[in-house]
Amino acid sequence: MYSPTSHPWTEGETLGHHLEQRGVSRRDFVEYCGGLCAVLGLGNLAVPRMARALQTLKRPSVIWIQLQECTGCVESVIRTSEPTIGNLILDLVSLDYSHTLMAAAGHQAEDALQSAMKQNAGKYLLVVTGSVPLADGGVYLTIGGRTAETILKEAAAGAAAVVAVGACAHWGSVQAARPNPTGAVGVSAIIKDKPVINIAGCPPIADVITATVVHFLTFGRMPATDGDGRPLFAYGARIHDQCSRRANFDAGQFVTSFDDDAARQGWCLYHVGCKGPATFSPCPIFQWNDATSWPIGAGHPCLGCTERHFWDTMTPFYGRLPDIGGFGVERSADIIGAALAVGATAGVAAHAVATGIHEARRRRSLPIVEAPGGGSSAAPPSSPPSVKE
Amino acid sequence: MSTIMAAPPKPLPRTGNYRWVSLWGVPIRVMHWAAALSIVVLAVTGLYIGKPYFMTSGEASSHFLMGWMRFLHFTAAGVVVMTAVVRVYWLFAGNRYERWRALVPVSRKNLRNLLRQARAYVLVRPEEAPPYLGHNPLQQMSYTMLYAIAAAQVVTGFALYGQYNSAGIFYRAFNWIGPLLGGIPNVRFIHHEITWVFAIYLPIHVYLSIRADVLEHNSTISSIVSGGRMVPADAKFQDD
Repeated sequence: MYSPTSHPWTEGETLGHHLEQRGVSRRDFVEYCGGLCAVLGLGNLAVPRMARALQTLKRPSVIWIQLQECTGCVESVIRTSEPTIGNLILDLVSLDYSHTLMAAAGHQAEDALQSAMKQNAGKYLLVVTGSVPLADGGVYLTIGGRTAETILKEAAAGAAAVVAVGACAHWGSVQAARPNPTGAVGVSAIIKDKPVINIAGCPPIADVITATVVHFLTFGRMPATDGDGRPLFAYGARIHDQCSRRANFDAGQFVTSFDDDAARQGWCLYHVGCKGPATFSPCPIFQWNDATSWPIGAGHPCLGCTERHFWDTMTPFYGRLPDIGGFGVERSADIIGAALAVGATAGVAAHAVATGIHEARRRRSLPIVEAPGGGSSAAPPSSPPSVKE
Repeated sequence: MSTIMAAPPKPLPRTGNYRWVSLWGVPIRVMHWAAALSIVVLAVTGLYIGKPYFMTSGEASSHFLMGWMRFLHFTAAGVVVMTAVVRVYWLFAGNRYERWRALVPVSRKNLRNLLRQARAYVLVRPEEAPPYLGHNPLQQMSYTMLYAIAAAQVVTGFALYGQYNSAGIFYRAFNWIGPLLGGIPNVRFIHHEITWVFAIYLPIHVYLSIRADVLEHNSTISSIVSGGRMVPADAKFQDD
């Protein structure tokens, strides 16, 4: 529908004008703003304000840098069946400097980044994908001879706010999994003096990225976040509580292997390790690839990719409990626990038998008529009064 | 075995003067049985929630098995929390067998008796155990540890329960647990494993209680129903 390359941006042009040039009608644009307001949980009254803010926007207001990552987050943003207005907005407000998408290379590209940062110092939104490797002086990622940490600090210095997109920028993701050889950390571990918002997920849903950026462009501030810096409009509820298979969970209907009848019937994936009950994400609502499907919808358990350290804590991905120490402790622990419980019962039984033998012998040795008073020094209480056996 | 015994055999009293010793107040007795029932319910439903061992078939709309399991689990958890509130209050309001001091065997005498009690159990020499009216030091220690473990179970349970609503009071009050233990899956793991502590504790507790009642005729079992014990009038106890 909208070709991302048909019209180059001309100097001094506003976003509204540019979208018009690209064939976006007023109706489409307002509809898009309405949809975005719904994603953000805002009422209809916010639509005109959002439309106005986006229309009058002059580029570039977003700078996107890519660090230690797989480019999957960018793929998630651009990999729609056709470019949406949201794609165009992201495309147009930033992506002057995007390793995956830009045409420029080498010093030209670096110059483009430098000039964009200088022109908009203090005003631009910095979007970061990828983690920052700190081990061995940061040698595991350099761009133009400079380390990721240097690049991030420099870019963040002039930013109004920072958006960490994806699990890598959130906390480090797979490269930060044990034993984390490159010392990878997320953006919020380095940038402490600016608001850092985490768009969690590996990768995150494109709509969440766009909505967060547009929220900033419209209101000049970030949406409300949870304790982990994730926007509440997207990460406020568990997958489990929004899941289309929740009815099967409540009914006690579970898939036990991926080729059983329950799997064909679309029952709950809890038994095969679904991490939906511990994962906050809007996947069941927003879904993926133009709302085509999502992992649980396609019959695969949730991996918990929006949660910190999910490579370590959410594994094994096909089991209920974490694999602490990496040698299947949770299975062993249940076996050991059950064995100890059985062992305790057996021990108790053995002790009872021993006590019974002891007591039988003792009673047999008791005097028939009268017992002498007094115990040993080890047994301080006085003996009970003499009684007849 | 009798040749290595230190003390000469003593007969059990069967007649004579007895006195009534009041030990456990009504709150303690109610709390004990409410907690006992709840813990059994919690263990059974909790193991189901952890690994559903029984399934339903047909339309989801005609079943609510996991729903009922979770409802029972959360309700029983609420009962346990209420018993904990009662117990904590009674740590300060109860008699001297119920107060907090009776749960911390730190005095020299208690520590010595703790070892003697352990020895009497291990070597199967019940007559060498130091006699107590209330809890012996080994009991004091194990009940204190059990309370601590139960508290850990309650706290991790609330951290998991709070997940259902990230704006709710339980989430806000307990969401420090997850990061502390390295993520909600670890909280779930610990919550799961503590269940086994109760499963191991239960047979030992029941056995030792019955054993004391049988060997000493000291009405241990009935004391948690009636609230006290009948003991020989002239018998002396470490905590009399």
